[in-house]
Amino acid sequence: MNLSKLWRYPSNWNIFRSDDRLLLILIAVIVGTCSGLAALALNRSLIALFEWLHHLRIYWWAFLLPAVGAALSSLFLEKVVNEAAGHGVPEVIYSVSRYGGLLRLRSSFSRLISSCLTIGTGGSAGPEAPVVMSGAAIGSNIAKFFALNDRQRVTLVGCGAAGAISSIFNAPIAGMVFTIEVILGEWSAVNIIPIAIASVAGTEISRLLQGNQIVFEHVQFNIAFIDIMACIGLAVLCAGASVLLTRLLKGMGRTAGRVKAPLWLKAAGGGCVVGLIGMLMPVVLGEGYHSIQAMIGGTFSTGLAFVAIAVLAKMAATAFTLGWGGSGGIFAPCLVIGSLTGLVYHRALLTIWPQVPWAGEGCFALLGMAGLVSGILQAPLTAIFLVVEISGGYEVILPLILVSAVSTTLCHYLEPASFYFKELVERGHLLRPGTDARVLTDLSVSELLETDCVCVRQDMVLRDFIQILKRSHRNHFPVEDSQTGQFLGMIHLDDLRPYLFNPAIYDAVFLDQVMDRSVLTVNLDDDVSEILRQMDVYNLFSMPVLSQGRYVGMVSKAAFLDKYRKELMVQSTQ
Amino acid sequence: MKLDINDIARSLDLPVNTLDRWVRQGRIPVQKSGANWSFDVQVLKKWAAARNLPFTLPKTGPAAADENPTPETLLSAMRRGGAYTGLSGVTVEDILASAAECVPGLAAPEKSELHDTLIERERLTSTGMGKGVAIPHPRTPLRAGLAQPLIVTCFPQKPIDYNAIDARPVFVLFLLLSTSVKIHLHLLSKLAFCIRDDEFVRFLQGMPAAERLFSEINELERKLDQSELL
Repeated sequence: MNLSKLWRYPSNWNIFRSDDRLLLILIAVIVGTCSGLAALALNRSLIALFEWLHHLRIYWWAFLLPAVGAALSSLFLEKVVNEAAGHGVPEVIYSVSRYGGLLRLRSSFSRLISSCLTIGTGGSAGPEAPVVMSGAAIGSNIAKFFALNDRQRVTLVGCGAAGAISSIFNAPIAGMVFTIEVILGEWSAVNIIPIAIASVAGTEISRLLQGNQIVFEHVQFNIAFIDIMACIGLAVLCAGASVLLTRLLKGMGRTAGRVKAPLWLKAAGGGCVVGLIGMLMPVVLGEGYHSIQAMIGGTFSTGLAFVAIAVLAKMAATAFTLGWGGSGGIFAPCLVIGSLTGLVYHRALLTIWPQVPWAGEGCFALLGMAGLVSGILQAPLTAIFLVVEISGGYEVILPLILVSAVSTTLCHYLEPASFYFKELVERGHLLRPGTDARVLTDLSVSELLETDCVCVRQDMVLRDFIQILKRSHRNHFPVEDSQTGQFLGMIHLDDLRPYLFNPAIYDAVFLDQVMDRSVLTVNLDDDVSEILRQMDVYNLFSMPVLSQGRYVGMVSKAAFLDKYRKELMVQSTQ
Repeated sequence: MKLDINDIARSLDLPVNTLDRWVRQGRIPVQKSGANWSFDVQVLKKWAAARNLPFTLPKTGPAAADENPTPETLLSAMRRGGAYTGLSGVTVEDILASAAECVPGLAAPEKSELHDTLIERERLTSTGMGKGVAIPHPRTPLRAGLAQPLIVTCFPQKPIDYNAIDARPVFVLFLLLSTSVKIHLHLLSKLAFCIRDDEFVRFLQGMPAAERLFSEINELERKLDQSELL
């Protein structure tokens, strides 16, 4: 290989050949930086677009702005880049588990543009899922460029996601934990180290370009025992809100799916509704970080009833934005709804027990965020670290853990699959590493094939068959048509055994008189888990495999056990 | 020794397409660029050991040939044993003692041990197969002394009352000594096939010389192999 090509294949360099950790760390820096930049780009352009459109909000037709944005974003996704609507995180998770993290290059910018259009014009959605998608696609394509293998590519996809989240929140630990908890679902040292490095790179690029500022200004809270007790009530409320939001999103998506209209028109309709809600309650518009800041700072000066309505309005706006085809994530709306929920809870406490010195409402807003994120994403660790990092306060950690744990658990009862996993679980596409489903997906029929069965023809007599029987190791004999070679049926030795020792019928019996024509067969490209299911249902030990009607081999449970075990050993030990 | 990817697949007892997928998924320390595979056998051995996977390199040279030996032929076993005429003895014990004496390449204590095991076998049921033919043999392969299976052909001076299944006196003994149960069954089955042929039994009654016997055996064995192939 000449020198100019050598740098494209770093995994073939001698120093990386036996251990690629160092290589992954080096590439993780590149991936983290790139995805951090992508996240910053989206963040900056969101702010720019929001400000640019700000002076238009005074006009009566301002409610059309989110409609236009959503329609444009839907058109862009559908017609220009030809990608599905939605936030993209399930696609990343599926690609990681099924295709070794292969993602299209265009995914690295498509969601950025579409979500910028949706959110910048006022749609209620978050920029985090789009940057995760784009960071993941950047990682995947860098891995492809350097011709890395699937495992390395998956790690780099994780690096991209981690870099993006770290950069957008200025929160390296949250980026790491989110990636491992939600995207990869696998805690192994081989993954964690490059991902940590990418988080550092992503955070650092964000700090270099926009200064080391935490997202929400740090406020000091004094948390007493009674506040911690009160948290449990908040956790229950958050779990309720999470389930409500999840159901609302699902219901809205289903309703929108039934409407027969072009996608962009649906998105525009949803946007209109969001715009109208926004005219009455501007807090629902956009990703809503400004209002969160106000709530944490305790300057969100409206009454209990207004805040309670705001919770519902934000939920509705989010459902109308995302359910009807707008582009964006659920993360930021979760944070807004969570802090509003926290506020509602705090105001209710104040109304009932006005004499108790409760911790500030900002504290409850933070806890509410954690509660909602844990409930919707069912990722408690992500919620805990994210809230600690974006608020810069460690003193809330105890109630934070409590709220996250309780909220996750309660939501899990009512909605077993988290928001990101729901679609995947419904389609049977959630394949976490080292699980049965994952091992079975990786195995293919051609790898399980046993080819030591001897084929026979249907016009053979028993005498000829006995000669073949002498040489065979197996109890099954596939019968092929003597003219076409097509598979006709099977001969099972057990059926013939009583007649084998009667030489009088050796020339009287043709094989097509004794073969089993109704035998169940599988195809070379069949799903392995489906084959196993059939074996269990019909109590079979082995089945013949056909390819275009011709016999190619057998699959048996013995081969399954052998291959399955090897696969599991290789997958679970990195 | 140069190994290719098929050898590695065989060492791990895997189909090549599984190995190919593992390489693509980055599960195994093998690099692939284009059609070239590169790996280090020591690294692979360590890798397999860490995952509790079996890894045995394919054998090469003479050891590999051992795995699939050409089946033993009747003719070569008979040539190794040789044919002897005029053995003395009137009882089964005596004639077996004389026959054991004829076995080439055995030391005296081994010969007496062989005699004991032959007698032991005869006590279970007679090895007289009928038509005046007996195939004495020990129940289990001998513990020591034999490298290859052999058949010693013995013609006693006078036919012997051998308790054969058809009660006819025995005029020829094929002392069958094998190194494994599998070879024993293989040779016994071939020998039994020859004895089914009445013409061959008549030929034996003439106490043919060794070379004539072997050529006749060769002929029969060829016929037998042909019928197996059909």
